[in-house]
Amino acid sequence: MKIEQKSWRDPVLIAAVAPLALVMLVFFLVPLVMTAVLTFQTTQYYRLVWTWDLKIWTEVFSKPHYWTIMGRTMVMALICVVLCVLIAFPAAYALATRLKSYSTAIQILIIFAFLTDAVLKTFGWILVLDKNGVANWLLAHLGFPAEALNLLFSPAGTMIGMVYNLVVYPMFTIYLSLVRIDRDLLLAAYDAGASRVRAFFEVTLPLARPGLYSGAILVFVLSLGAFLEPRVLGGGTAPLASELIRQSFETRVNWPLGAALTLVLILIGALTLALVGVIALRNPFGKRRAAA
Amino acid sequence: MTKGTADLNRRAVLQGMGGLGAAAIVGSFLARPGAAHAAESLNYMCWEGYNAPGILDPFQKSKDVSISVDLITDSAGGFAKLAAGASRDFDLVSSDSPWIQRMGPAGFCRYLDDAEFAEQYAEFYPQFAAPFAPLQHDSKATGLPTRWGWVGPTVNTKFDTLETWSSYAPVFDSAYKDKICLLDWGDWPIMPLALYAGVNPYEELDDKALEEVRKVLRAAFKNTRAIVADLAIAQKGLIDGSFRALIGGGTYCTSALRMKGHDYIQSIVPEPKNGLKQGIIWMEATGLIDNGKNSQIAADFLKYIVSPDVAKQLAITEATCNLVPNAKAEALFSEQERKALQMDYMWTAWDNSQFHRVAPNIDDMLAIWQEELAAR
Repeated sequence: MKIEQKSWRDPVLIAAVAPLALVMLVFFLVPLVMTAVLTFQTTQYYRLVWTWDLKIWTEVFSKPHYWTIMGRTMVMALICVVLCVLIAFPAAYALATRLKSYSTAIQILIIFAFLTDAVLKTFGWILVLDKNGVANWLLAHLGFPAEALNLLFSPAGTMIGMVYNLVVYPMFTIYLSLVRIDRDLLLAAYDAGASRVRAFFEVTLPLARPGLYSGAILVFVLSLGAFLEPRVLGGGTAPLASELIRQSFETRVNWPLGAALTLVLILIGALTLALVGVIALRNPFGKRRAAA
Repeated sequence: MTKGTADLNRRAVLQGMGGLGAAAIVGSFLARPGAAHAAESLNYMCWEGYNAPGILDPFQKSKDVSISVDLITDSAGGFAKLAAGASRDFDLVSSDSPWIQRMGPAGFCRYLDDAEFAEQYAEFYPQFAAPFAPLQHDSKATGLPTRWGWVGPTVNTKFDTLETWSSYAPVFDSAYKDKICLLDWGDWPIMPLALYAGVNPYEELDDKALEEVRKVLRAAFKNTRAIVADLAIAQKGLIDGSFRALIGGGTYCTSALRMKGHDYIQSIVPEPKNGLKQGIIWMEATGLIDNGKNSQIAADFLKYIVSPDVAKQLAITEATCNLVPNAKAEALFSEQERKALQMDYMWTAWDNSQFHRVAPNIDDMLAIWQEELAAR
């Protein structure tokens, strides 16, 4: 089959790409540039003053607490990714292989949980994690001392909320990868003498990689902007970047500072994703497959 | 079915869908109450409670005006929105008094002629009589007071006596470790703690005073179980005893609970410490936005919102219950409402409090709060 080479000057191609390019330009690039421009301004008497200087960037780079919070946000996001993938993979695997007959019903239930308002779900965790909540009530009935769990208003409480709200993303992306795996490949592996465990690591896991990566990226990006969970379940014990940015914009009415912190967060997130992308390209699955 | 017929059908379906969409959009505009037939319209930026139908509807009907409400959740955020250009679109604003006071010199609010509102001032408690300094700039008023209360420890008397909280000392007492809740409401929790540290946050502060503020916040954070922005979470913790006191909320998080029968919850004002009053009087006010229209109907609304009947409604809302400056409204409250609002205590609180006003170093203090929170 002859593949037709298309030029970027092809009017049909330009017409096809133009709407999306325009949308991205207007709703992503322009606001991003405006945000960057804002960082070089200052505020006086709670009003924006258009004076081009580096005052805000000097503040951002000279105050260590901004970086403490950025670092904490990154760590929390990465932990959340690991936990979500660890929880989502077995669940997606079971859905794709062992629970095929119930798969539709279970998916509908998961979608319902996913569509339920995050505010409602997050506030619901208060009733579970509270000192006098459901979790401690159950533990007390199992013989544990009263108020054994003290997770509400702690970083762990924040993490529970984040994982609960985000785990559904990798669950679906991994599930979609798993159901597309050709069963004959696994049978061929068994025929070649592979154990179940080896077949899983040699066949299933590498082929589920696209779903794993896309799910992990979704969780990571959404975790970076986690706002509700630290605010409701964290109780100020481990403020994350989104809260810092909110405080700068709303409470301090310092829009240039809020814009600068937003850019820092976007840059750190993009760099982390790029770094993970490079590592993923050199992953052991790829090498092994190339060797084979 | 021929291709042509199929195309025609698809087009017909698309046209039908487009028509339905257009009808829905037009219908939604027509369905807006009052929008289609009101002679005038007002845009009103306010806190929740000011938008109650019981308050807005009678005015809309009597004046043949349509009021569109934009709720604020943060006074500073509301100010920033006006600063960003929204002042051209709004006619009225109800917010915390320091922000209304700022709106005069910032050019967002019209200065009021006290004589035009003499009738309203005459109905107010003497403490709010004109000229009312907390809302003035260069001897010109920027708004009228609408609701008020005090900031002090909010205590569950089932667990603690009020005498225990005659000072903020328990906030720093190891016996109260992990039993204190700070309200994450901008500068509200900072001011009382600064006062406890012997710093008057409403005066110009030097580096030494700001360092004292830092120390007191750091010490409070060490003993605090949670810093909470949501009123319901704070109230729940106070009722079930997981929080022994709420700091930085005062009557704003008390009266609604008392109205619902939790009369063992009380907000008090600590005793003066080294001559420095430890309580804080907060107040909300309503101002007329300077949008070039000089709307008389907006001025009429301002008179309306402080009138006794409306003030009473504004005092008792579903989310929060607060005092109002109109003395005539007092007679309209039931005994239960008077108890809920702690009206027998209000002038004691007033006498032992600073007035919450523009603090010169507020941004420095908010930055310190942010830094110390990050280090928690």
